[in-house]
Amino acid sequence: MKTQAELKAIARFVAEYATRLMGSGVHTSRVVRNTKRLGEALGVRVIVSAFQKVVNFSVFDDESGEVYSEVVDIPPRPISFELNAELSALSWEACDRHLTLEEIEARYREIIARPRIDPIFTLIVVGLANASFCRLFGGDWFAMSIVFTATLLGFFLKQGMQNRGFNHYVVFIASSFVASMYASVALTFDTTADIAIATSVLFLIPGVPLINGVIDIVEGHVLNGIARLTSALMLIVCIAIGLSATLMIVKSGLL
Amino acid sequence: MTNTVFWQTIADYNRMTWPVQVLLVLAGILLTWRLYRRPTSGIKRVMKYYLALLNGWIAVGYYLVACDARSYNEVMALFWGVMAAVWVYDDVVGYTTFERTRRHDLFAVILCLMPFVYPLFSTLRGMHFPMMTSPVMPCSVALYTIGLLLAFSKRVNLFVILFLCHWSLIGLSKVYFFGIPEDLLLAGALVPALYLFFKEYIDLNFRSDTKPDRRVMRLLLAVMCAGIGIFFLATIWRQIASLV
Amino acid sequence: MMWLEILSDGFFAAVAAIGFGAISDPPMRAFPSIALLAAIGHALRFVLMHWGMDIASASLCASVTIGVGSLLLGGRIRCPMTVLFIPALLPMIPGMYAYKTVFSMIMFMKTLDDPALGAEYLQAIVRNGFITFSVIFMLAAGAAAPIFLFNKRAHSLTRDKKHLRK
Repeated sequence: MKTQAELKAIARFVAEYATRLMGSGVHTSRVVRNTKRLGEALGVRVIVSAFQKVVNFSVFDDESGEVYSEVVDIPPRPISFELNAELSALSWEACDRHLTLEEIEARYREIIARPRIDPIFTLIVVGLANASFCRLFGGDWFAMSIVFTATLLGFFLKQGMQNRGFNHYVVFIASSFVASMYASVALTFDTTADIAIATSVLFLIPGVPLINGVIDIVEGHVLNGIARLTSALMLIVCIAIGLSATLMIVKSGLL
Repeated sequence: MTNTVFWQTIADYNRMTWPVQVLLVLAGILLTWRLYRRPTSGIKRVMKYYLALLNGWIAVGYYLVACDARSYNEVMALFWGVMAAVWVYDDVVGYTTFERTRRHDLFAVILCLMPFVYPLFSTLRGMHFPMMTSPVMPCSVALYTIGLLLAFSKRVNLFVILFLCHWSLIGLSKVYFFGIPEDLLLAGALVPALYLFFKEYIDLNFRSDTKPDRRVMRLLLAVMCAGIGIFFLATIWRQIASLV
Repeated sequence: MMWLEILSDGFFAAVAAIGFGAISDPPMRAFPSIALLAAIGHALRFVLMHWGMDIASASLCASVTIGVGSLLLGGRIRCPMTVLFIPALLPMIPGMYAYKTVFSMIMFMKTLDDPALGAEYLQAIVRNGFITFSVIFMLAAGAAAPIFLFNKRAHSLTRDKKHLRK
C-alpha cells in the first residue's frame, strides 16, 4: 500500500529514468521493459507509451487502486551506450536485490554523473576508423591518409558546432561538406580519389537510430520505429546535401 | 598538371609579387619579435589579423591569381580562405590567447625560422630566382604557423593544427608528384609538433578517473604518431626508390 | 595470401568499429568485444563474397553471426546486445553504393537535356540505391534476429549472474 506522496515520488523517478534512457538512444522495447521492471521492483505497475519527443505513462498501485499519470518531455541528449548498459543493469539490480527508492536513486545519480568519453579520444579514433573504412572499400594508402585528416577536420567541426548548440541539420550539412571538400584534394593526385571522397563523410552516418528504428519496427513499436528511421533519413539527406555541394564544385575531376 | 606548369606558376608568382612578399616577411619578423619580447593584448590581436592577412594572401595572391594555370587552384584557395576566416573568427571570440609556454622553445624557434630555410634549400639544389621556393608560400606559411602556435601553445585552436596536418600530407605528396623536396621539411616537422600539441592536451585534461584514462590516451597518441610517421617514411622511401 | 587478406580485412573492420563505436560513448569494457565481433563479421562477409555470394545475403549471414556473437559475449561483460552489435555492424554499411547513388542523382539532374544519358544515370540511381537499402535492412534485421530467437536470454544480459538460475 502506497500513499499518494510515495506514488508520486516513484512516478517522478521512473519518469526521469525512462526519459534518460529514451534520450540516450535506447530502442523503445528496452525502455518499456526496463521501466516496467523498475516499477515492479518498487511494488507498482507501470504502463509506458513512449514517443519520439515525449513519454506518457501511468503508475498503478494495485493494492489501493491509486493511479498516478504523468507526461514527460524527452530532452535531446547525445547517444550513450554506457548509460544504456548501466541503467539496464540498475533495473535488474533493483529487481533482484529489492532496493529501496532512495538506494536506486543514489545509484542512478552516481551512474549519470560518470564522465562521457573524451572528445579528443573520439576525434582520433574516428579519424583512424574512417581511414580504415577507406581501406575496406579498396582505397590505397595515400587515400587513407587524406581521409584520416579530412575526417579529423570534419569531425572536429561537428563537435564544435554541436557544443555551440547549432541545429542538427546545419551541423550535418556543414561537416559533410567540409570533410568531403578537404578529402577532394585527393583529386589532384594520382590516387583512388572517388573512394576517398565517398568515405570521408561516412563518420556521420546515424547508425544508431537506423538500426534502432528497424528493431523498433520489428518489435511492434512501428510508429516509433518509423519516426526514428525518418529522422535518420533526414540526417542522411543532409549528408548527401553536403556531399553534393562538394561534388558540384569538383565533379569535373571525377568524370 | 605537370611538373613544368607547377614550377612555372611559382616563378610567375615570385616575379610578380616579390615586393609584397618582402613587406609580408618584414611585418612577420617585426610582429613575431614583439610577441616574443613584449606581448600586449593589442599585439596579440594584430598578430591574429596578420595571420588572417597572410592566409588570405595565400588564397588570393598565390592560388587564385598566380596559380591560375594549375587545376584545382580554386579549391586550394578556398582552403586558405577558410583559414583566414578562422583567424578572424578566432579574434572575434578571443579563443587563442598566445600565452608562452616556454617548454618547446627551441623547436618552436627553429620552426619559425623554417620559411627562410626554404629558399636556402632551393638555392642548394641549384635553383635560381624567380623559379625557387620563397618564404611566403603555403608550406612555409604552414611551418611558420606551427612554430608560432607551438611557442604559444597554452590554448591553441585545434582546427588550425588539424588543417596544417592535412596540408602537410598534401605537401608530402607534392614532393613526389611535382619534385619539390623542400616540402619534406614540413612533413618532418609536423609529426613531432602534432605529438607535442596532443601531449600537452592529454597532460592537462586526463587523469586516472577520466574516460578513457591517461594511459590509454598516451598509447593512442603514440600509435597515431607512429602511424603517420611510418606513412611519411614509406612515402619518402617510395620516392627515393622511384628516383634511383 | 588469401589468409593475409582476410586478416587485414578483419583488422581494418575492427579499427573502424572501435572508432564509430566511440561516437556513441560505449563503456570502455565493451571495446574488445566490439572489435572482435566486427572483425569476425566483416571477414566472414569478405570470404562469402569472395566465393560468389551477393552482398545482401553475405551481409545477412555476417550480421546474424554478429548478433549471436553479441549474445554470447554480452553476458560476460554485462552489456545489452545493441551496445555490442550496432558499432560492429557499422563497418559493413555500403558506403560506396550510397555515394554512387548520390553521385548519379547529381549527374542525372545535370544531364536533363540528354535522355539517353539520363536513363543511364536513372538506372544507376535505382541500382545503387536498392543495394544500399537492402544491405542496411539485412544488417539491422539479421543482427536483431537473435533478440527474438533467444528472447529470454537476450533480455537478461545485464542481470547479475547470481540471480539468473533461481
